[in-house]
Amino acid sequence: MALNIIVCVKSVVLEAPSAALGSSVERTPRNSVLNPFDRPALALALELAKEEGGLVTTLSMGPPVSCWALCETLALGADRAVLISDKKAAGSDTMATTRVLAKAVNWLGPWDILLFGSRTADSDTGQVGPQASALLNKPFVGMASSIIPKEGIFLVESLTDGFVEQYLANAPFAASVHPNAASVLDCALASIRQAFDSDRVEVLTLADIGMDEAFAGEKGSPTRVISMTPAPKAKKCAFIEGGANEQAQALLEKIRDAGLLF
Amino acid sequence: MEPFFSEKHHAVKRLVRAFCEREIAPIAKDIDAQARFPWEVVDKMGPLGFFGIQVPSSLGGAQMDTVSYAIVVEELSRVCAGLGLAVSVHNSVCVYPLLTFGNDEQRQRLVPPLARGEKIGAFCLTEPNAGSDASAIEATAIDQGDHYLVNANKVFVTNGAVADTCLMFVRTDPAAGRKGISVLVAQRGTPGFITGELEDLSGMRCNPVSSIRLVDCAIPKENLLGRQGMGLAIGLTALDTGRLGIAAQAVGIAQAALEEAVRYANQRRQFGVLIGKHQAVGSMIADMATQVEAARLLVLRASWLKDNGAPFTKESAMAKLFASETASIVADMAVQIHGGYGFSKSYPVERYYRDARVTRIYEGTSEIHRMVIARCVSG
Ligand SMILES: Cc1cc2nc3c(=O)[nH]c(=O)nc-3n(C[C@H](O)[C@H](O)[C@H](O)COP(=O)(O)OP(=O)(O)OC[C@H]3O[C@@H](n4cnc5c(N)ncnc54)[C@H](O)[C@@H]3O)c2cc1C
Repeated sequence: MALNIIVCVKSVVLEAPSAALGSSVERTPRNSVLNPFDRPALALALELAKEEGGLVTTLSMGPPVSCWALCETLALGADRAVLISDKKAAGSDTMATTRVLAKAVNWLGPWDILLFGSRTADSDTGQVGPQASALLNKPFVGMASSIIPKEGIFLVESLTDGFVEQYLANAPFAASVHPNAASVLDCALASIRQAFDSDRVEVLTLADIGMDEAFAGEKGSPTRVISMTPAPKAKKCAFIEGGANEQAQALLEKIRDAGLLF
Repeated sequence: MEPFFSEKHHAVKRLVRAFCEREIAPIAKDIDAQARFPWEVVDKMGPLGFFGIQVPSSLGGAQMDTVSYAIVVEELSRVCAGLGLAVSVHNSVCVYPLLTFGNDEQRQRLVPPLARGEKIGAFCLTEPNAGSDASAIEATAIDQGDHYLVNANKVFVTNGAVADTCLMFVRTDPAAGRKGISVLVAQRGTPGFITGELEDLSGMRCNPVSSIRLVDCAIPKENLLGRQGMGLAIGLTALDTGRLGIAAQAVGIAQAALEEAVRYANQRRQFGVLIGKHQAVGSMIADMATQVEAARLLVLRASWLKDNGAPFTKESAMAKLFASETASIVADMAVQIHGGYGFSKSYPVERYYRDARVTRIYEGTSEIHRMVIARCVSG
C-alpha cells in the first residue's frame, strides 16, 4: 500500500528572543535550523515510506529562510518539499498558522498520514498538530512512537505519562511524534548536494493555495502575546571540578547528602 | 553571507558534525588509547560518501566540491584526528591522483570501490632514506614485459595496515634520476605484498600507520598510473590537494582544542573567579580563536580557488603551513589553560596536543612548505 505522508516542519530560531517585546530576531540562514523535534517525525515518515512504499512531503509555513530547512528535509530523504511563504502570513499565532497549514494540506491532495513534531524548539506550544487535525476533522494521536500498518489500518503506539498506549487508526489520520520515536537520520553527502544544488523546494503564497488572507497573519490571529519576561529559575546549577575520579566522588557525596543514597 | 561558504556548505558542516558527535566522539578517547582502527564507524562512513567526497557520481562518489571536502575533514578531525587523516589521505593522495592521471579503464576499475569505502587507499612515497627528498627513493620496478617486478620498502604509510589500493612510488629507470620515478597501483593480496608492524605513534593513534614492503611483487602493466617517469609530477599534484586535507585536519584539531579550553575556562575557579576572567587566560583564548579563524579562512580560500579552476599551490601551501603551526600553538595553549589536568589523559586536550604535532611534519614539513611558498613568492 503506497502511502502519502505529509510531515509539517518548521525552521526555528536558535537565538533566544531578547526580553523586549516586539524586538523580533532577524531570521537568517545562520540562526535558523530545522526544528529538532521535527526530525523524529520525518524519520518515522521515511521509515514507513521505505517499508510500505509511498511518498513523503514536507510542508512548512514561514519566512523565505525556511527554504533551507526544507532543503535539509529533501537531503534527508523527503520526496517533495513545499513552503508557504507570504508577507501576509507574518505574525501568525498558532491558530492562524494551523489554518494555513490545514489549507495547504488540502491543497496538496489526498493523504494518508499527517505528522508533526511534538513541539518546536523556539515556541514550545505543541498546539499546531492537534489544532490542524481538528480543523481537518481527522483523528489525532499524540506522542506517537511507532506506526505499524495492519491490514489496511494502522497500529499506533504512543508514549504518554509513562504509559505505552496502543491505538488503531484508519487513514487518513494525524499524529504528533515522540522525540525518541525514530532512529536518527544520517545524510549522505550526495543527497546534500542534490538537495541544495537544485531548486526543488516549491514556494507558494497564500493566494496560490486559495487561502483567505483575513484568516492568516497578525490580522487573522485570535491571540496576542502581550508580555514576555524570563521565568525565575528555582533550580541552581553548580559545577563539580577536578579529575574524573574526584568529580565522581564529589557527586556521590552530594547525592548522599541529599538523602537519595545511603 | 560568508565568503566561500554557501547554504549547502553549512548543511554539510551541520550534518557531518551531527554524525561525528554521535558516532565518533564517544569512542575517540578509547580508540586512541587502544590504537584501534574503528571499522564499525568506518563502515558507516562509506555509504555517506566520506571516501569518495569529490569523485563523480558516475564512479560511485558524492561529487562534492573542495570546500565540502575541507569541511568534512575538519569536522572529522575535530572529534578524531586519526580518522580525519584516514579520510584525507584516502581522498586526496590516493583517489584524486587516480581520477586525475588514471585512464578510463583504471578509473572504472579502481575508483568505485574506493569511493564507496569498500576499499581503503594509501599513498606510499616515504622510505627509510627518502622523506622530504622524495627523489631519493630506492624502490625498484623492473620491466618484465606485461608486468613490473617490484621491490620496495615504504615506511609511515597512513592507513597502511588496512589499505587495499596503494599508490606506490618506484624507480622504473634508475639512470634517469628524478625523471625515472613512476607510480604503480599495488593491491593488497598480490603475492609479495607485505604489511609491516604498526608504528607506535605519539598521536593519530587510531590510524594504522605501518610500513608496507613489496618483495618480488608482480604488478601488471595496466596498473601504471600516467606514463613512466611521471611519478614525481603525480606526487606533487597529489600533495597540492593533500595539503588542503592536512590543513583542514589541523583546523579541526585546533577548533577542538579551542572549544575545550573555553569550556574549561568557564568552569574552573581560581582566586575566587572563573579562570577565563583572568586577563592572561582571556588573552590566550583571544589569540587561539583568532588564529583558528585565520587558519580556516586560508583553507577555505585555497579550496575555493581550486573549485574555481584557479592556481592554488601557493595558497594551499600557506594554508598547510599556517594551520599546522596554529594547531600546535592552540593545542599547547589549551593544555596550558587546563593546568595540570591538561597533562592528564582525563581531558581530551592532552590528545589534541599529541595529534597536532605531526601536522607540521607529514605531507611536507613546515620547512619544506616555507621553501615552496618562498619559491612561489620570490619566483
Ligand atoms: C603519522 C605519519 C603518517 C605519514 N603518512 C605518510 C604516508 O601516508 N605516505 C608517505 O609517503 N609518507 C607518510 N609519512 C611520512 C612523512 O611524509 C615524512 O615523515 C615527511 O615527509 C618528512 O620526512 P622524514 O620524516 O624523512 O624527515 P626528513 O626529510 O629527514 O626531515 C628531517 C628534518 O629536516 C628538515 N629538512 C629536510 N630537508 C630539508 C630542506 N631541503 N631544507 C630545510 N629543511 C629540511 C625537515 O623539515 C625536518 O625538520 C607519514 C609520517 C607520519 C609521522
